[in-house]
Amino acid sequence: MSKPANPNELVDRYLQAVRFWLPKSRPQEDLLSELGEDLRSQIEARESELGRPLEVSEASEILKRCGRPMLVASRFSPKAYLIGPGFFPVYRSVLKMVLLWILVPVFLFIIGPINLAESGGHWATAWARTMGDLWSGAFTAAAVITLVFAILERSQVRDAVECKWDPLTLPAVQKTERKPPLLHTVAEIAFNWFGLIWLLLLPRYPELVFGPAHNFLQFGSLWHTFLLADRSARSLRAAPMCHHPRSPAMGLVSLRGSVHPNRPHHDLHPFHVERCHSPFGGPLVSIRRVA
Amino acid sequence: MAPSSSNLDPEIFENLRLELRRGCLTLAVLTQLREERYGYTLRKALADDGLEIDEGTLYPLLRRLESQGLLVSHWREEDKRNKRFYRLSPQGKHTLNQLLAEWDRINRSLTKILQEA
Repeated sequence: MSKPANPNELVDRYLQAVRFWLPKSRPQEDLLSELGEDLRSQIEARESELGRPLEVSEASEILKRCGRPMLVASRFSPKAYLIGPGFFPVYRSVLKMVLLWILVPVFLFIIGPINLAESGGHWATAWARTMGDLWSGAFTAAAVITLVFAILERSQVRDAVECKWDPLTLPAVQKTERKPPLLHTVAEIAFNWFGLIWLLLLPRYPELVFGPAHNFLQFGSLWHTFLLADRSARSLRAAPMCHHPRSPAMGLVSLRGSVHPNRPHHDLHPFHVERCHSPFGGPLVSIRRVA
Repeated sequence: MAPSSSNLDPEIFENLRLELRRGCLTLAVLTQLREERYGYTLRKALADDGLEIDEGTLYPLLRRLESQGLLVSHWREEDKRNKRFYRLSPQGKHTLNQLLAEWDRINRSLTKILQEA
């Protein structure tokens, strides 16, 4: 790109750049002539101060101070909104409601299962197809809502809405509960998930509760009633494993079938399991640590 | 928690400053245009009195005031260059007097408030 030969040419280039960003519907020549006249007056004033013609680089400092052409043009243009501040809160609420509370649940609970059924049980295909449909659906919905609000913004509807409201129709005052801090909410969700995952892993990894004692202890049948996920996962095949032949069927904890009290089990070292009598009657198994 | 005075966002101060300045600039421009001036000399006169205003602020303001009927303008050649001269319209003179009275009232109130504080 060739450099301007003199400050005057630089000003002309600047005005051309400003013209590019001005709205074409408004008269521009008056505005550009006035701006150009101001810039040339500034250059002349500076030349009078210095007593010599300005260099192009010195003139460019004056233009820099005036601002980027796009910014200058925007100041001369009327403020334009696609959706103005009057309608924006309503627009945001409608957008959020449609996208989050209507579109996402519809896709998750209706379209998703339909896609899964149509794909013959292929989860990945159904997921990809549902996400693709959701994206195009969300994009279309957002575009339509934006278009409707942009039309409302340019029509006289807003004035009518603003004039018609009646303070007597305002709803009764509701008690507002103080919202917990965001950190609390995030921590609560994280710990809930952690707890849920821990609970679901228990049937498969009893050491999460029993520690090293999981070699001879297992959950009693009561837990298998409680841990529905385990029941559904293992079905009824696992049920007989829950009952030790020499322990009560409905206990919280029972001995594993391979463990026999009062017999040495080398793999259980350093624990020793022996049968004893409860002071309240009935069988009791004692587990102690041996040296 | 409200930020302390030391870590207040500079942008907040700048916005408040511009808001405070906006109305004052209109009053200053109208007052200066009791006599005829063109854009550059108007900016220079305001700057000499300590109120700097850039081109991107002044010319849109002049256009707005003219469209509101407070200013009249015409192009005239001076020093071999076409310049647009502005001055107050009769309606502008009347509005300026009203605004100056309002300014005086606000100024007195503020002075009183500041003395009480």
